[in-house]
Amino acid sequence: MYNWVESAHVMTLILCLGMLFLIDLRMLGWGFNSVPASKIAERLDKPMMIGFVAMFITGIVLYLGIPVRTTQSLWFRIKIILLVAAAVNAWLFRRHMQASVGAWDTAPVPPRRTRIGAGLSLTLWAGIVVCGRFIAYDWYDCGKSDNTAFINWAAGCVAATTP
Amino acid sequence: MDLFPYFAALQASPIGVFVKDRGATFASIEAVHLVAWALLGGAVLATDLRLLGVALRDVPSKTVSDNAHRWFKIALITLLITGFFMLAGVAEKCHGNFYFWVKMAALFTGILFAFAIKQPLLRRDHAELSPTTLKLVALASLSLWTLVGASGRWIGFS
Repeated sequence: MYNWVESAHVMTLILCLGMLFLIDLRMLGWGFNSVPASKIAERLDKPMMIGFVAMFITGIVLYLGIPVRTTQSLWFRIKIILLVAAAVNAWLFRRHMQASVGAWDTAPVPPRRTRIGAGLSLTLWAGIVVCGRFIAYDWYDCGKSDNTAFINWAAGCVAATTP
Repeated sequence: MDLFPYFAALQASPIGVFVKDRGATFASIEAVHLVAWALLGGAVLATDLRLLGVALRDVPSKTVSDNAHRWFKIALITLLITGFFMLAGVAEKCHGNFYFWVKMAALFTGILFAFAIKQPLLRRDHAELSPTTLKLVALASLSLWTLVGASGRWIGFS
């Protein structure tokens, strides 16, 4: 069962992040340059959010499947921090866009601030995928004898998760 | 034809040893593979959902397919390179893995379909093509890449 939810989590990636990547590429001026930026953002927002909700739900289920180990996973913790950072970035981006898009909507390459926000979004989400994938590996699992004190602290180790 | 010796040789090659010997190497390549998968999926979805009339309906379908195809190619190349490195690390296991062969068959068909049928068709004026043809192309493409992704994920589970 875990495998099915895991696969659903990976398959909905293309809906959530696939759309997000296309929006960000437009905001960087690297694609869809002939289409107004706001149009790409608005039209792809819905499929992206559907994908996000699916990823969020499957993500929660995956977490609940292995709660103790995941809570004490260094990668899971970094992933959550990056998710919060991506959310803040998205919120700032949306606010900036609403305030100024009228001036650059049809420009093939949007202004610098927009491009920085889009680049940050791409980087943060790539980091989220990397951390998510790394959760599956046991390199820093609590109870590993070669963990440094810092790793054990950062992972919040209370109970050993490796035999 | 028994391909096992080739798979064993690949795993024993410097590339195979490089990927397998350090724990984080395989995982890092795998993570890049996943990011590129999201990009490829996004490009495929945008084009196919547009052809199906589900998304981006007020953007010309040719504009969508032309722009998406560029990123499709970039993502595909990244996936093929990272995928080859991943294979090199666990080639012997892959040789005996049913889902690996399902994925390879789907991938081969997917690439062939994208470059020999879909793209030559979409390069033409979309108004000249029948809406049914466009929708069938989109459905076939969506099914193929879904199979590639799902069977790929399942290699690790079996």
